[in-house]
Amino acid sequence: MKEYSVINTRVPRVDGRAKATGKARYADDLSMPDMLYGALLQSPVAHARIRKIDTSKAKKLPGVKDVVTAQEAGAVKFGVSPARYDETIFCIDKARYVGDEIAAVAAVDLETALEAAALIEVEYEELPVVLDPFEAIKEGAPVIHEDFPNNIGAEVHQEFGDVEEALKTCDLVRTDKFVNKKQDGAFLEPQACLAFYDPGRGLTLYSSTQAPHYVQRTLAMVLGLPIGKVRVAQPCVGGGFGPKASASTLELTTSLMAIRTGRPVKMAFTREQVFWHSRARHQFFHELTTGVKKDGTLVALKNTCYLDGGAYSSFGIATVYYAGSLLGAPYRLPNMKYDGYRIYTNKPANGAQRGHGGVAARAAWEQQLDIIAADLGMDPIEFRLKNIMQRGDITCNDFNMSSLGMKECLEAVRSGSGWDKKKGKLPRGKGIGVACGFFVSGAGFPIYRSETFHSTAVIKLSEDGGTVNLYTPAAEIGQGSDTVLTQIAAEALGVRYGDVKVSSGDTDFGVDLGAYSSRQTLMSGHAVKQAAEEARRQVLEVLSEQLNIPVEEMDIKDGLVLFKKEGVDFSALRTRYIKEHRGWTDPPSGKHFTFVEAARLAYLARGTIVGTGAYKPGELGGKYKGAAVGTSPAYGCSAQVVEVTVDMETGQVTVDKMTDAHDCGFAINRTNVEGQMQGSLSMGLGEALFEEVKFDGGGRVANPTLGEYRIPTCLDMPNVETIIIESNEPNGPFGAKEVGEGAIMPTIPAILNAVYDATGVRINELPVTSERVFDRLKEEKERRKEV
Amino acid sequence: MHLLPKFDYYEPRDIGEACKLLSQLKGSARIIAGGTDLLVNMKKGLLAPRSLVGIGKIPGISEIEPVNGGISIGAHLIIQKLVEFDLIRKKLSVLSRAASVLGSPLVRNRATIGGNIVNARPAADLPPPLIAMGARVRLKSRRQEREVPLDRFFRGPGETVIKPGEILTHIVIDALPPFTGGDYIKLMHRRSLEIAIVAVASRITLDGPDGVIRDGRIILSSVAPKAIRAVRAEKALIGERPSEGLFEHAGQIAATECTPIDDIRGGAGYRCSMVGVLTKRTLSGALREAKGQ
Repeated sequence: MKEYSVINTRVPRVDGRAKATGKARYADDLSMPDMLYGALLQSPVAHARIRKIDTSKAKKLPGVKDVVTAQEAGAVKFGVSPARYDETIFCIDKARYVGDEIAAVAAVDLETALEAAALIEVEYEELPVVLDPFEAIKEGAPVIHEDFPNNIGAEVHQEFGDVEEALKTCDLVRTDKFVNKKQDGAFLEPQACLAFYDPGRGLTLYSSTQAPHYVQRTLAMVLGLPIGKVRVAQPCVGGGFGPKASASTLELTTSLMAIRTGRPVKMAFTREQVFWHSRARHQFFHELTTGVKKDGTLVALKNTCYLDGGAYSSFGIATVYYAGSLLGAPYRLPNMKYDGYRIYTNKPANGAQRGHGGVAARAAWEQQLDIIAADLGMDPIEFRLKNIMQRGDITCNDFNMSSLGMKECLEAVRSGSGWDKKKGKLPRGKGIGVACGFFVSGAGFPIYRSETFHSTAVIKLSEDGGTVNLYTPAAEIGQGSDTVLTQIAAEALGVRYGDVKVSSGDTDFGVDLGAYSSRQTLMSGHAVKQAAEEARRQVLEVLSEQLNIPVEEMDIKDGLVLFKKEGVDFSALRTRYIKEHRGWTDPPSGKHFTFVEAARLAYLARGTIVGTGAYKPGELGGKYKGAAVGTSPAYGCSAQVVEVTVDMETGQVTVDKMTDAHDCGFAINRTNVEGQMQGSLSMGLGEALFEEVKFDGGGRVANPTLGEYRIPTCLDMPNVETIIIESNEPNGPFGAKEVGEGAIMPTIPAILNAVYDATGVRINELPVTSERVFDRLKEEKERRKEV
Repeated sequence: MHLLPKFDYYEPRDIGEACKLLSQLKGSARIIAGGTDLLVNMKKGLLAPRSLVGIGKIPGISEIEPVNGGISIGAHLIIQKLVEFDLIRKKLSVLSRAASVLGSPLVRNRATIGGNIVNARPAADLPPPLIAMGARVRLKSRRQEREVPLDRFFRGPGETVIKPGEILTHIVIDALPPFTGGDYIKLMHRRSLEIAIVAVASRITLDGPDGVIRDGRIILSSVAPKAIRAVRAEKALIGERPSEGLFEHAGQIAATECTPIDDIRGGAGYRCSMVGVLTKRTLSGALREAKGQ
């Protein structure tokens, strides 16, 4: 492998110091002179016709500068997929869930804004509420959107091969059901934004978002502004995990009131509002039928899924596709059929969350595969290895595994966990389980159909020659893209890590679709690499002209210009450089010509040196309807082994150890890759054992706090052994592909399989609370008595 | 968004002044100690006292003191001290253990033992071990001072025998007889930042190192409107030689003595079953401690 200086290392994060010392500024930390504070009025009922809104008392309250309702905000529809734009800034005729936005206020301080919002009088005519998706599709159920009288907002029917025929040829066929629970993104930073408007320069919005580009487009579309007059920029963002990947009423209203008042407006969600707004993982009801041959060969999979969508579509069109398309791989499976239905209910809209659409499906299937392996008398790892895909394999739904270290991942966790010494040999109450998974490395298409580049980048060398400015519109949300892109720029240009100054997350820098679908290392990475290479080429061209040496005989590495042939005399150039800086006390010396000198001379010859890059995926597979959801330039994959202890009297599950191997193609930053693996496992552990958004009968979130919605604490997280597998992805920059989401895929099923190994009971409903395990143990005991 | 409503704030310098203030302000004032429950409830709009009386500056109510072989604990002592103090760890390890699983480090460093008692939440962590060890609470008002056994202090959720104008100043625990041990187990969904699904505190006193059980207490938490004693299960222990079988039996009885509800944290049936398991386990733990193991 090529020797690298900056990538494949453990350099510290570019934002590490600011974040560790509390100097990092998040959206709610921002403030401007004359700034107003916004507050929302949200529906207290889950389904109601809005008869009348009276804002007169609110408007009269001293300190109130603006009050807006649908009347002021208009009726332009927006959402995520243009095919299902079903939201407006404010409710027009109906409120569809508890939290649906009715009105907003801007006032001189937060207290006044909140008081004014409470003074708005709304006359609701309550309508019947439907919370259960299976009730919602029954004849005569309350209709949530008039355009969808059966409440099915989206359905998908796909078949690859011939599943019914294939199942007839199988020796073993089994059907299982599985259900997860609605999740909350539980990012540490609730959404917040600050908008200000200048009639000449247009609108600027600082927002805690994962996707400045999509927010920019939506603001322009809904508020009727030229897109060039809308700038969206990120301050530091405290996590997103999916729910921050689209524009929200918070952002639209804040912008609207900033335009109307001519003053900066800031508005932020409370934790409770984060739960109401939601847009996190759906609840999925899967039924899977899998058929295999006696020797363990996988033959066919039939997958039916009902998704509780909540009141609006959000990312749901993509979700309902992903719940089907992310199965099959990483196993060779010739026949696969999928029927998916996303159903509207009077609950907060569900959307995307880490492992978009595929996490519950993966948990369901990997547990079923475990059962099948046991029925066949095969070791679960052997069973998986028998069916494993390898580099170059293409799935029945046309996903090209241009690199795939799946086998290597499985073998790594097998030896890393001591599987062979433990499986089948642990005492009752102790268990070990395994699972695999894969994920896209960036969606093949933008969420709106377009020929746009997915990522652009600009590199500008400072005119003095000393600094490399990287301008990337990519979104740093805490995952580390600023660091990774800085490393890629430095490596591709040949300078040191500290020579690159990154600015990111600003639509003024270009187009980047944002931090979702695990796309930025691959896609933004390509754009940055290309920009850096172009800047490098220009510097070398100038040197070539001035030294009369062909470009191919020079290289830049670690901030130094290297000549392939010895004895190059660059003293004249050095003298010129030194003359440029009369009076400076640190003239370059030493036997190497430096990049700083070269970049200055390039500027003197050509003006400012700018390199640009732009990336979009090449032709991807799949001509069938829905092929756009799942096809990707590359796929990451992972395997995990989890060890648990189950208290056989209380049912309590303790995860003792996790061994995780992930194929990220090539690790640009090894510490960051491990961090993503650890974070994914923590999130998966939470969904497996604790997390569930609960509702009361009226559709109100019953646990909208991090006290009663339980994400794992550090005491719940076991030691994780992380193993990085590098398969060198041909479509990735330097061979890199995703890690951010794929790593969560095996976590839940590996825990479920370990719980089975410990107890002998299968859990088909999340979360695996002690009570659920206790009940299953009791059932099993009674069943045995009867037998 | 929840904002704290407006209120007047008083900070008396001694207990006499505090009692006087409370009596002057009548029902419109609340005492604030750590504020970890009170301020949250005020933000939520569940409580709107016109005045708050801070008791942090009052001397003599934030200490732990040995008294006649027993222990007196000031009501304003922060909970983390119960985890850290040697005297508590050695003489009342069951209280220390309960304190260590209450809330989070942030909460434990603000909340007070008195607050955990007077709020009278059915799942509060400190009352069960305190009742098990026979604690009394000292209540002071302008005119009088009285002591009430803690197991007669609670009436129901949020309800106690404390009268308007009274302040809880101290928790008093008498010297424990030899061969006494206790244990507290809190069943939680996760390992920290939790309210109990079910919790049980038990205490055993033996009549000698290998003797029979002379006295036993079993306190069940989160399974009734207040922490309750499993009286029949306690009775089953007296005069008996300790054994796994006996403890199992006591657990089965205790499971019939609670009246849990289905709520967001767990089902009633599961809670009853867990009362059985935790009773058995805490009795075993108490026995080990009673035997000095």
